[in-house]
Amino acid sequence: MKLSFHEKNGVVILEPRGKIMGGPDATVLHDKLHDLIAEKKLKVVIDLSEVDWMNSTGLGILISGLTTLRNNQGDLKLASVTEKIQSLLTITKLVTVFEAYDSVDEAITSFGAAARA
Amino acid sequence: MSGTSRDSIELVIPSDPGRISEADDFLETALRSRGVPDAIVSDMAIATTELVNNAIVHGNKRDATKTVILSLQITDSEVVIRVVDQGEGFDPGQVPDPLAQENLLREVGRGIFIARSLMDDVRYERNPGGGMVVIVRKSLNPA
Repeated sequence: MKLSFHEKNGVVILEPRGKIMGGPDATVLHDKLHDLIAEKKLKVVIDLSEVDWMNSTGLGILISGLTTLRNNQGDLKLASVTEKIQSLLTITKLVTVFEAYDSVDEAITSFGAAARA
Repeated sequence: MSGTSRDSIELVIPSDPGRISEADDFLETALRSRGVPDAIVSDMAIATTELVNNAIVHGNKRDATKTVILSLQITDSEVVIRVVDQGEGFDPGQVPDPLAQENLLREVGRGIFIARSLMDDVRYERNPGGGMVVIVRKSLNPA
């Protein structure tokens, strides 16, 4: 897995590519999420469009990021979820836990909507 | 087992979670080179990495002196995977339900559930020589 990121409108967008299955690669995503929290960058979108698949280790990393961000008054949202990962989120009932959007821009906009609510 | 047996291959990996990608590379290369469809390859890769990771972490408890054997048998009609560890064994029925509301935010505990969801059959047996054997079957001719 490779990981790139950028920031837009105060939201950090993480762009993992490849497979998230555990081992050193997955640690990169876990560490990045927790680095962002330490830097008080608490609005995060993960763009999953280039992730081929993930296993339960990948799901665990997403949950870790989500719970830690929410415990720090932040949030993590998913964007461009592929069919394969959507299927995993559905069978594990994690669709009830994560907010997911069709595009990164929609996910970014949702932070503003939440702030105004 | 239905279908004509074509071949069987095996990979031995040390009990290091950092080596999990070797299991994926082994599996995906073998299946793709034999023309298995992408959707089945990715389902099998997800399930196999779950089971190999469990064998390393829960079976062998990351003991570097122990290994995990991943074997793959491909016929015209199905793929059969065996994951063998050298641990003490465990009862998969004792794993908490990952769909229970109180477990939804747990970071671990979904591996067996996901493997069962994606595969046609997942069976746990005690290995006569010690450790556990997980046998997974996936049809190449889904209904």
